[in-house]
Amino acid sequence: MGAPSLQGDPPREAAQPGRGTAYFGDVLGMMLWPVHRLIWADPQRRARKLLEFAEVEASGGRDLVRAAELTNDPVLRARYLAHARDEARHADMFRARGRALGKEMTGEGKEGLADWMAPGERGMEGLDLAREKDADLLAFLHLSESAAARDFARYARVIDKDPATRILFQRILHDEDEHKNYTRGELGRIAPRRARRVLWWARLRRLWKAYLRFATFFAGMIAGVVLTIQYFVLLPPFVWLARRNARREKPGWIGVGERVAR
Amino acid sequence: MKILGISGHYHDSAAALVVDGVPVAAVQEERLSRHKNDAGFPLAAIEWCLDHAGLSPNDLDAVIFYEKPTLKFDRVLTGLLQGWPGSWRSYPKAMKNMLGEKLWVRGLIASQLGISTRRVRCIEHHQSHAAAAFLTAPTQEAAIITADGVGEWATLTVGTGAKRADGSSEIRMLRELRFPHSLGLFYSAVTAYLGFTVNEGEYKVMGLASYGQPTRIAEMRRLLRPMADGAFMLDLDFFDFLGKVESGYSSRFIDLFGPPRRSWQPIDLRSEEGRRFADIAASAQALLEEVMVGIATNLQRETGLSDLCLGGGVALNGVANARILREAGFGRLFVPSAPGDAGCALGAALYADRILFRQPHKAVPDHPFWGPRPDEAALLRVAQEDGIPVVANEQLIEDVADALAADKIIGWVDGALEYGPRALGHRSIFAAPHDASMRDRLNRDIKYREEFRPFAPVVAAEHADRFFDLPPGGARLARFMSGVVPVRPEWRSRLAAITHVDGTARVQVLDREMEPRLHALLEAYGKRSGIPVLLNTSFNLAGEPIVNTVSEAYSTFRRCAIDMLVAGNVCLTKQRVARAQILENVA
Repeated sequence: MGAPSLQGDPPREAAQPGRGTAYFGDVLGMMLWPVHRLIWADPQRRARKLLEFAEVEASGGRDLVRAAELTNDPVLRARYLAHARDEARHADMFRARGRALGKEMTGEGKEGLADWMAPGERGMEGLDLAREKDADLLAFLHLSESAAARDFARYARVIDKDPATRILFQRILHDEDEHKNYTRGELGRIAPRRARRVLWWARLRRLWKAYLRFATFFAGMIAGVVLTIQYFVLLPPFVWLARRNARREKPGWIGVGERVAR
Repeated sequence: MKILGISGHYHDSAAALVVDGVPVAAVQEERLSRHKNDAGFPLAAIEWCLDHAGLSPNDLDAVIFYEKPTLKFDRVLTGLLQGWPGSWRSYPKAMKNMLGEKLWVRGLIASQLGISTRRVRCIEHHQSHAAAAFLTAPTQEAAIITADGVGEWATLTVGTGAKRADGSSEIRMLRELRFPHSLGLFYSAVTAYLGFTVNEGEYKVMGLASYGQPTRIAEMRRLLRPMADGAFMLDLDFFDFLGKVESGYSSRFIDLFGPPRRSWQPIDLRSEEGRRFADIAASAQALLEEVMVGIATNLQRETGLSDLCLGGGVALNGVANARILREAGFGRLFVPSAPGDAGCALGAALYADRILFRQPHKAVPDHPFWGPRPDEAALLRVAQEDGIPVVANEQLIEDVADALAADKIIGWVDGALEYGPRALGHRSIFAAPHDASMRDRLNRDIKYREEFRPFAPVVAAEHADRFFDLPPGGARLARFMSGVVPVRPEWRSRLAAITHVDGTARVQVLDREMEPRLHALLEAYGKRSGIPVLLNTSFNLAGEPIVNTVSEAYSTFRRCAIDMLVAGNVCLTKQRVARAQILENVA
């Protein structure tokens, strides 16, 4: 089910992302093809990833509901609510397929090193919806849906031994295309003169957020290494003290005695 | 004095404002941020509390944080040291977590509010729980029990509280149990084992327990061993609170009870596996009740007091609460509307007012409605924009009662938002409680949740005994839906939608004074059906916090099978919305 069309067809350029972006996406897609094939080959990982995608879609749907609650534009409100219904349906579809695949799973599913290279939708990427203007939010959504559509198309191509999952991706892909188009169309409606500028600004913000994700990950990794070294080098003398204290402390009630708060 | 209480950084952040000894505002951050169990710094909640009272941060005499971060850091670090070298994976995570923000909370609060750190103070976690339970309760003297996962070091405390004739107040902590021996962590580990989210799914374990038999209680006693002095200890071989923070159980736990349920795996109670999970839930629940009743009984004998105030997350366990009231010897049991960490914001503020600053005690209004009020005009505007006809009617109660009698489901927004996890009549979904099909309809079309989870009823206080087997003091316990009691057998078939599989219900007993409009609705519905009882469930969808504003109520109404939305005197019905939606789709 696509979003209802209230404003006629979107502008012609709306159906496709910028040429440069598409080219970059295609090249990246070709480069990542073996990685995606590897990631989606294992049924356990496939099941786990589909269940993760279900959570992301459900969360994205909740963000869209929030956007609907906050906008003063009745057309956008209807669009967002319809979009949110789609996301909730996608979540159900991913969950059902993940559960079906996962029936034979022995654990929660293996996580691989390259796993992060096959993301689902990123949704609103932690945007503060209350502070976003409608145009900025639409631009962000448009780019997010475009990226998701590209990713899901890639996954559908590499999952050749699991037709049910491939068809699932293709069906969801159809909706993502609809979402991509309506967000671009609505952006053209509410910000006709500055739609391109807003889109470029949103691209820069996505890039910045990607950098922040990377920087946070990198900083976390460095901190992790430093703290691990600290753990093994500095802590051992204190371990003895802590264990001695633990031996002295008996389980059961500990009197608080005179600690009276008046 | 103007005192702001804050809880946060673990789960369910909140802020509460006490002015001249009386609460004026309290709200959970999740209700404003719309992120369920929001654990972040509760800036939106603080801003709302101050705006509501017309204050700026500089007007505050004190800001009180609900726990002492340095003591908590001490506990975390000591635990990691004791677990060396096995705790090496947890150490970097824990240090980043603590050193990043949590340890410097006084500075953080001061910088966020733009005030001096001298005005920011921290009190102990269980002191906040004890104050939230005792200082809000309409009792002069009571025994106090607080129990949760863990605060700084304490996991369970017992003590007494007194409000004296000279206006002074006292909270006396007698003794405590310390980490890692924790009833809350024990129950949370079972919650995780059963595939539910910790700090969120504990009530699902309680619901599931009714479908099982406590056949595994002997094994549970190996995990949690009662001691001669009435305390208990956990066998730490079965738990891993450092290595597996999210789950908390070890491989020996799995050896004992079998493979855990995977979070996405549905529970089929007709299958052997489903019954195994139900039996494990029943066994953990039975043991928790046994321990809590034992501790409460000992405390009653020791203090000779007739009132008990119960705080902490464990106090959300309504089955255990009802057993304590029946068996421990107390005449009355007070559980606040927000006994968990969110309620600590109010507890911390009251503790500072009465204990730290020695202000005279003042009675705290005995209701849970401390949050934002709905804006009916906003609903009118949104409905108008969407072309949906609205009925604004001073006599809506009769229309709503008619709709309920015709098996319609009502979304109800009225007055200030509840403080705490329960919808107690201001942000509720109401339905007729008679047929099991209504329960299935709500589960399938609105709440999208597991079939084993029960729905709660609300009943007018004067009719409660007719339908429910309330123990002495039970009406008080049920004021904030804190106790699970039997539905009288002769009414179970006519109250099938709210009667759990074991014949019980987590009833809300409503005093007219607390919520006159809802009371009038119950009366009006009673005239039509002969049974003044309604099914009352929280106004939210799965995974979302309870609605706060009318916009949130409206979007929820649009997305599920609620038939009628009522906000104050404004009403929308689904037929009209459906027509508008069809027009949208056609367009």
